[in-house]
Amino acid sequence: MPYVLLSPLVVLLAVFTYWPLLYTAYLSLVDVRLFQPDRYVGLANFRGLFHSPAFADAAWNTVIYLALSLPLKVLLPIPIAVFVWCMGRRMAALYRTILFVPTLLSFVVVAIIWIWMLNPVIGQFQSVLHLLGWQMPAVLSDAAVAIYVIIGVSAWKVVGFHALLYLAGLASIPRELIESMRIDGAGDWRILRSLLLPLLSPTIYFVSVTSVLFTVQHVFTPINIMTGGGPSNATTNLFYLAYQMAFESFNIGFASATALLLFLGLGALAAVQARLIGRGVHYQ
Amino acid sequence: MTGLAARGPLALSRPWRAVAHLVLFVAAVSILLPMLLVCATSLKPPAEINGGMPWPEAPTLSNYAAVFEKIPFGHYLWNSAATTALRVSGQMMIALLAAYAFARFEFWGRGLLFALTLGAMMLPHSLTFLPTYLLVSWLGWFDTWQGLIVPNLVAPAAVFLLRQHMLAFPRELLDAAAIDGAGPWRALWLVVLPNIQPALAAIGILLFIECWNEYFWPLVITESVSSMTVQIGIRRFLDAERGDDLGPLMAGVVLVSLPALLIFLWFQRRILETFVSAGLKG
Repeated sequence: MPYVLLSPLVVLLAVFTYWPLLYTAYLSLVDVRLFQPDRYVGLANFRGLFHSPAFADAAWNTVIYLALSLPLKVLLPIPIAVFVWCMGRRMAALYRTILFVPTLLSFVVVAIIWIWMLNPVIGQFQSVLHLLGWQMPAVLSDAAVAIYVIIGVSAWKVVGFHALLYLAGLASIPRELIESMRIDGAGDWRILRSLLLPLLSPTIYFVSVTSVLFTVQHVFTPINIMTGGGPSNATTNLFYLAYQMAFESFNIGFASATALLLFLGLGALAAVQARLIGRGVHYQ
Repeated sequence: MTGLAARGPLALSRPWRAVAHLVLFVAAVSILLPMLLVCATSLKPPAEINGGMPWPEAPTLSNYAAVFEKIPFGHYLWNSAATTALRVSGQMMIALLAAYAFARFEFWGRGLLFALTLGAMMLPHSLTFLPTYLLVSWLGWFDTWQGLIVPNLVAPAAVFLLRQHMLAFPRELLDAAAIDGAGPWRALWLVVLPNIQPALAAIGILLFIECWNEYFWPLVITESVSSMTVQIGIRRFLDAERGDDLGPLMAGVVLVSLPALLIFLWFQRRILETFVSAGLKG
């Protein structure tokens, strides 16, 4: 009986999740040729990648994306959640609704909105700066800044959602614990440090793990729409590079090798997170 | 003592209270202002689009009509609505059966299968898109609804959440149903389903929003009006737009966003609660 119930799930998982994973590994080791059998090339695809400047750019950018996005997406929502938590019932409900809105918008819509806001000619920032006699710089075509714009836009999309997750964690903390700490003479900082943050640690762990996946994967959309990976590879990441190799330069071996390296990198990062943060997690 | 209770969970000194209000106000404005500007621009006649006031002085709905004339927006909407409805119903059916199996039965391989299901959450498209694309093309599903729907029929998070709800379900009720002669199948439909209906609705809404907003897979797998979704359609419109169709583009942005926003406002409390439980148990 349970096997019958599970059969659709098992078949679909096998065909569309786990077989593709194995097949990616296979494709990374061969040279795919039209109308001829695949040729085994060993690690040649990986060697090719390591000699390609585009791969180096994408790998470095992936590190930058993660290093800057994680504090923004994991830490910034904590004070926001605490502040909403301290508001009156009415205000808290209003802010909760507003904070959830960017989660509901598609990343396509978010990207279009910010392209338009930031446009140096017809953009909304420009129409304000214009009044002061200033000119809005073309941030998206400036290789030195574009990546920070994309990091900012993708943080804008999720900070509110993460704040709501933290808020849920805060709401489940029994008020008596806080009251008793205060009666013992603890101030806000002490309550925050020795009660609230430890009790939030499972949520912090959850948010930091999902933020890694989110940062590597969902940032595809703003990259694709806002900069196309440019200018001169300044905003591309490993996922975007794999997509371009597959569908623009039709290099299946390189694309698969990139995806596989990304998989190994993400796995290693998840293991590090489990050791560093997961060990510190305090379950009530 | 009432004063203490009214002060909220933290005492927050006066300067910190000011900081809190300021931070939240700035956050709210940074979220709402761009959206208000988009709505305002979508209502502007062509003469007011560039320059002029941020709000429309002679509001018009002509941009909304123009989206349907300039691009096959109606087709895109139909593709999105139909494939979303089919995919979400499929995801719910499959997740419901699987969650019931995981929650109700002891069987060989249960732990492994559950781990593989959760593992799929960590294996997003970014890692497996190429073989999936090759397979879908080989099946002849490129640029079709099947190509959009079938590879995405498993929603691991839905399996996980539904299993949690079923585990919390009182065992005695199931035993009572069994004593009354209901098999596991009847127990699922007649006892379990009606009781987890709120969770089902909330999960369905979240899956709807996720599917409606999806970009990567439709970008890879659709090519023509016969299967292209609104997200890809509006993106193409952005590329084709050369500064003269800003009004219709913004109208399109509003229309694309409206379904998820309306559903959220309608079911707000339920959705927030589901997110809450999802976050806590992760």
